[in-house]
Amino acid sequence: MKAKHIQHLFWRAGFGIKPEALEIHSKKNRKKVVAELFEDSFNSNPLLIDTSELVSAYLNMDKSDKLAKQKLAKENRKKQLEFNSAWLKRLMTSKEMLREKMTLFWANHFVCQDNNIVYIQKYNNTLRKHALGNLNDFVKAISKETAMIRYLNTKQNRKSKPNENFARELLELFTLGTGNYTETDIKEAARAFTGYNHNLKGAFNFNKKQHDFKSKTFLGETGNFDGDAVIDIVLKQKACATFICEKIYRNFVNEIPNSEHINQMAQVFYPRYDIENLMQFVFNSDWFYEEINIGCLIKSPVELMVGMHNVVPFEFQNPKNAYYIQKLLNQVLLRPPNVAGWKGGRTWIDSNTILIRLKLPSILLNNAIIALEEKGEFEDSYQKYYAKMNTRKKTIKTTVDWNTFDKYFKTINISDMKDLLLVSPINKGTEDLLHQLTMDNKQEVCIQLMSLPEYQLC
Amino acid sequence: MKRRDFLKNTGLASSLFLVPSFVKAFEKIATEQLGFKRLVIIQLSGGNDGLNTVIPFRNDIYYKKRQDIAIPKSKIISLTDDLGFHESLLPLKQLYDQGYVSIINNVGYPNPDRSHFRSTDIWHTATDADKYATSGWLGRYLDQYGQHPFNAIEVDDSLSLALKGEINNGIATKNAALLFNSAREPYFKKILANQQDAHLSEHNLGYLYKTLIAAESSAKYIYETSKTFKSKQEYPQSPFAKQLKTTAEFINSGLDTKVFYTSLGGFDTHANQLNKQKQLLKVYAEGIESFVKDLKENDTFKDTLILTFSEFGRRVQQNAANGTDHGTANNVFIIGENLKQKGIYNGAPNLLKLDTNGDLIYEIDFRQIYATVLENWLGVDAKAILFEKSFKKLHFI
Repeated sequence: MKAKHIQHLFWRAGFGIKPEALEIHSKKNRKKVVAELFEDSFNSNPLLIDTSELVSAYLNMDKSDKLAKQKLAKENRKKQLEFNSAWLKRLMTSKEMLREKMTLFWANHFVCQDNNIVYIQKYNNTLRKHALGNLNDFVKAISKETAMIRYLNTKQNRKSKPNENFARELLELFTLGTGNYTETDIKEAARAFTGYNHNLKGAFNFNKKQHDFKSKTFLGETGNFDGDAVIDIVLKQKACATFICEKIYRNFVNEIPNSEHINQMAQVFYPRYDIENLMQFVFNSDWFYEEINIGCLIKSPVELMVGMHNVVPFEFQNPKNAYYIQKLLNQVLLRPPNVAGWKGGRTWIDSNTILIRLKLPSILLNNAIIALEEKGEFEDSYQKYYAKMNTRKKTIKTTVDWNTFDKYFKTINISDMKDLLLVSPINKGTEDLLHQLTMDNKQEVCIQLMSLPEYQLC
Repeated sequence: MKRRDFLKNTGLASSLFLVPSFVKAFEKIATEQLGFKRLVIIQLSGGNDGLNTVIPFRNDIYYKKRQDIAIPKSKIISLTDDLGFHESLLPLKQLYDQGYVSIINNVGYPNPDRSHFRSTDIWHTATDADKYATSGWLGRYLDQYGQHPFNAIEVDDSLSLALKGEINNGIATKNAALLFNSAREPYFKKILANQQDAHLSEHNLGYLYKTLIAAESSAKYIYETSKTFKSKQEYPQSPFAKQLKTTAEFINSGLDTKVFYTSLGGFDTHANQLNKQKQLLKVYAEGIESFVKDLKENDTFKDTLILTFSEFGRRVQQNAANGTDHGTANNVFIIGENLKQKGIYNGAPNLLKLDTNGDLIYEIDFRQIYATVLENWLGVDAKAILFEKSFKKLHFI
């Protein structure tokens, strides 16, 4: 397989590739390289942090005790930060690269947020478990997740007073897309999801008393449907396969949809909805490797950071720093902007983020100072809101493992480094500049290349 | 020296030699087209309790539902027969008496969302509560009428959704020198010096380069222009007042910026609201007082309109922690020299008719205010910016 194609594959199926792996894979054919990607991601290892204390404190809490409640909320926020950095670390170090990349993708498809760490941790692992599985099982599992039941108000969806929030987003954002259902379908679907609830520990709980057992007419079918039956009917629609395939195409291939390729994908996906099978088809397609699809996507902030880590391993000395960078770059893991998720692409880039993104290699690897302050949170008191601003210059402290970088690049010529680090075509003027720059130190060259606008693309 | 000549002779001119020519093409149409009217927006972040800000002090329900946190009549600065300011707003009362303030009550939107994030999104994007947009209303204004990031500045360190358009974005800075330094990276300079616009494609790579170029030239322009003016006005010691001072310096130095955006945080008063809000409103009002003085001193107040909003108001019924929970409709302050309707714009909130949550029911859609500001102040077509929807304009300007 051609080196350029392997890099492309590894950027889309993961976060880039190390020189050594590139060397090994270039001796294999495409089918084998792709197959190995899936073998490596066969296992699903849940991402877990210790929440036992929190859980028992929560279960034993006297609900009228305000102080205890506050303390618990504080502890919860701490754990959210811990889980945020655990997830980032997982993305940076996991062997199950494709599964983690897919998990990140699904987290921005089945968008959900919950301030309760136990519920959101469970949700996150459900995404991971089904990331390469079957879409039917996946959607059903999502619909019964406590975090989702809370986030889209299925909890408040009762026989006597249905709440349409989940039903609406299920159809509009999760499965069919607008234009493929009516307002009546939403109302009928909402009735099918009545009675969905959860217990304190976060397990699904079906409240029969609140469920509407009567007949519903949904997408042309009539019966005493429950939530699972509605999902079965949704997935019977070819539109669902096309909708998901287009989203995958925009995220993994090209922002500009190609209907011919998307239709091919939908043929493969429908009616079994095997996600692994679909992704194998994409990564084995000739069109996936066409010039026009290589290096054309703008990396998300997380992809940018994780990709850099793949080349030069580093560790944040204070996890708050990692969170701060996510915040400055507008992608905080576990904190999606709304149920539609991050739009991605050019929306990552504005006058302020471009400066930070280009400086990120110096900030993370070279102890450059970031001369910006952090905005407070909505919930912060006046003092706290502005306390975050008082540190005029933020130093991001990282421990950089240049030894590993040196090992990776030991046998690589300096002049070949740009081919290893950049997948996008290089702008003419920049190409000229690279010829003019004196390049004798690999570490410096690495930072210089990563600071180019070209490195923002994958 | 005329302002434009001045610009040509100073900062901006020197940068023209460094940036590619397509940026130059933009410069030509800059100033004249935009006019001189400026809009300053202040978000009271966290959800200010409007009922304890502009207080319906003759309403028994108000006192009944807020036994521990109602503001006693004796402390209220009365404005009309039934509404009065919180005592911390004394400086604002002076502006009010001069006819510089218009208070619009019961501003909200249908199907209110009580999440800070979501409701802020709704105010920033100007969508319906059940729709999602990735661009802000001021960003879309920039898409149509702006040429540079510096046409809309957030006086802060990161850019809010309100200032992000589909094509153009504003720029955030509360310290022009700091931003300038960060953009003045020698390496960026080298990269940019080597570019020619012919090589910048419409694809993502071209977009990245163009954004970098615009950021660099905006940072330079803001710094070079704003440093020509140092405010002589005294401001209180608060980060918010400092942001307003910076805004005044930006305005008074003649920056070609139409929109300024800033926020004051800390209004999420679920517990022990009285002292917290008292302090916050003081910070707000004293900051505004200095800001308006500063602008008047420099003859720029007449061309500046200040709009203050909060993502939502708070519940009528206080909670058990002597605070209030997230609510819905709220008041919006409009401050400016030539208001058409001065003082209280519309009736006080109706505390008898609440929604099922016990929250106020809105009377004026916030997008009516946006439409009014866009058309009557900035002089542009509001419909194009508000998703082709028509909103009945108000008559405060």
